Amino acid sequence: MDLFKIAKYPFIEEAKEWVRKEKIDVEEILFDGIYERARNRGVERVMQALYKGIINDAILLNEVDCMMEVLSYPIARMLVVAIESDYLLRRYALAEAKKAYENMKRDSPEIIIEIGKEFGIEFKDGCIHFTDYLKFAPTWDIKWKLVNRELRQGYVRLDKNEIARLLQEAIRKKIYDELSYLFAPQEVKKVFKEEIIAIRNKIALKERKETEKYEDINFEDFPPCIKNLISAIKSGINVPHVGRFTVVTFLNAIGQSTNEILKIFSSIPDFNEEKTLYQIEHITGKISGTIYSTPKCDTIRTWGLCYPDELCKKIWHPLIYYRKKRRK
Amino acid sequence: MNQKFLKKKFYLYYLNPKIDFPSRYERREYAFIHFGEETMHRHISFNAKEKLLDYLKVNVPMHSYYSSAYYQNPSADNMNEKKWMGADLIFDLDADDLPSADKLTYEEALEKIKRELMKLLDFLIEDFGFDEKNITVYFSGHRGYHCHVTDKRVLELGSQERREIVDYIMARGLELKEIIKERPIQKGKFLDKTLEINPEKGGWKGRIARAIIKFFKEIKEMEREKALQELEKIHGIGRKMAEKIYDVLHDERKIERIEEGKIDQATEFKKIIKPLIKKIAISLYSQTDEPVTADIKRLIRLPGSLHGKTGLKVTKVSNIEEFNPLNDAVVFGDDMVKIKVEKPFKIKMKEEKYELKKGIVKVPEYVAVFAIARNFATHS
Ligand code: SF4
Repeated sequence: MDLFKIAKYPFIEEAKEWVRKEKIDVEEILFDGIYERARNRGVERVMQALYKGIINDAILLNEVDCMMEVLSYPIARMLVVAIESDYLLRRYALAEAKKAYENMKRDSPEIIIEIGKEFGIEFKDGCIHFTDYLKFAPTWDIKWKLVNRELRQGYVRLDKNEIARLLQEAIRKKIYDELSYLFAPQEVKKVFKEEIIAIRNKIALKERKETEKYEDINFEDFPPCIKNLISAIKSGINVPHVGRFTVVTFLNAIGQSTNEILKIFSSIPDFNEEKTLYQIEHITGKISGTIYSTPKCDTIRTWGLCYPDELCKKIWHPLIYYRKKRRK
Repeated sequence: MNQKFLKKKFYLYYLNPKIDFPSRYERREYAFIHFGEETMHRHISFNAKEKLLDYLKVNVPMHSYYSSAYYQNPSADNMNEKKWMGADLIFDLDADDLPSADKLTYEEALEKIKRELMKLLDFLIEDFGFDEKNITVYFSGHRGYHCHVTDKRVLELGSQERREIVDYIMARGLELKEIIKERPIQKGKFLDKTLEINPEKGGWKGRIARAIIKFFKEIKEMEREKALQELEKIHGIGRKMAEKIYDVLHDERKIERIEEGKIDQATEFKKIIKPLIKKIAISLYSQTDEPVTADIKRLIRLPGSLHGKTGLKVTKVSNIEEFNPLNDAVVFGDDMVKIKVEKPFKIKMKEEKYELKKGIVKVPEYVAVFAIARNFATHS
């Protein structure tokens, strides 16, 4: 068993196995003095996820360091579950996944392949099957659209960092799904009483900020392409990814909040709140740092989503349409 | 009167039909439209093949469908209770979606669709790597083809993932700068750009590269005047640029560079790429409907059933090149029947040409069914 490996990737099967073999039970982790360090690090994981969106690597010099690091992971998970906030859950799952991503980028390809296998991804000469690719790739980003990829005989060619990026998504999903179904043991709430209160307050603050009402907008001022897309989305018609992408970037640009954008999407046939929220937050830069800009008319046209009216003749960008309309 | 005639003929067929049962047929939803009715009978399921055959015999439907999806409870009447388990990947190529559909004759439309179908199959096999035994093609009974992919890896793909496949074969969202590298090169005192292509690559990268090379070869083989005309057909290329391109193709040194995958004077050559992409991509497109489908719960015609608007059979196609719907999808006999032609039409069925003018004529049964189903004639 490679303790250094499982300290870096505490979500893999091997890590669970190790905890089982060591026969460390929940009681011990929560109360025994020698695990104080692991508990502190567990709290730190959650805090960093909340404040920074990513979890820093711990310094791992010897086996004890590794042990504490591995154990801090289940502690962090219990804490997240005990706080009972979907907001935190999403943030935490993403932060863990990002941490893993950073590590995978530096690690050997063998490790990446090993982790990939845990998600049922088969590799063939560094390529992965397109169905696995589609499951995890952020295809709303032009660069990741399948059409712009080298696809041959069912397999997509990716470089190491790209595979790591796909796995990041797989890991995020796994952690989120697992934690959504878990309940925290009663003791957790006792042991971390103060931390739980502090974190809850912080979350409430953050959430309030994000749901604050933004400037008043008027649907009537939207350009026809956006109007069309929104009505289609609202009436439950399946809208292509790029269409959803366009709507999100547009609404974000005119100052709509994440929650208001989310509301619009709630009637799509395969609505998945968690997934949609994640995509919105990604596109609007809430979690990735890059804010995607609204596509130009030219681009929208090539997607077959443009339905120009009179005013459209004078503009080249949907946002300009909106601004012109508002000024009238 | 007409409906009665058709129903009687359909009945005779459904006494002993050649139905290709869909895989996991008990898990599918079936839907039918009966003669003389408009609403669809939906949410029907069959737990035995005989029961489906009985339904056809008793009700003699005008149109018969089944769901591409399979469900835990296929006969439940809402999606939640149906419980989606997966769906075949279906591509639906219909001549109605062709931009020029109205101007084409029935035969021309079918021929055009067939060419799109060939392109589709090339994508499915070369790029997506589907095994030919997991791909089945059916003639739709009207003006199109359905292509069913039953590879187990695609069954659980959601609609967004399917949409990516559709976008791929239609080249939607294709971003040239992601696919073809542009490199600046020093040209005397100036900086020019060169495009780098590689025909060996997979995906659109390779497809575009191969198309460019093929196109250049064709142009090069042509006489100068013809080549120039051909080049000028491309949007944005005028006489001068056409001459420049033609000359480049006859310059040994420059041809060598192209063979190495380097195309200089990027700006000129980029103009050629767009129309080439259009040619390779599946080009069906209509505003309202998806030409090929990302839908994970749509209804498709039951293979072996009859299409109520033609009387032709939804037929499995094994040899695409040779398949002729107006021969191979005909199920009715050649007893002579009297019909009253309302709208003159021409058609070639079973290797026989018919040119029917207004008035009462005697034609073989299969022509009668086709003409009446298409509303060109009435039964007299
Ligand atoms: S011209 Fe631009 S703003 Fe107008 S409908 Fe088309 S894409 Fe939208």
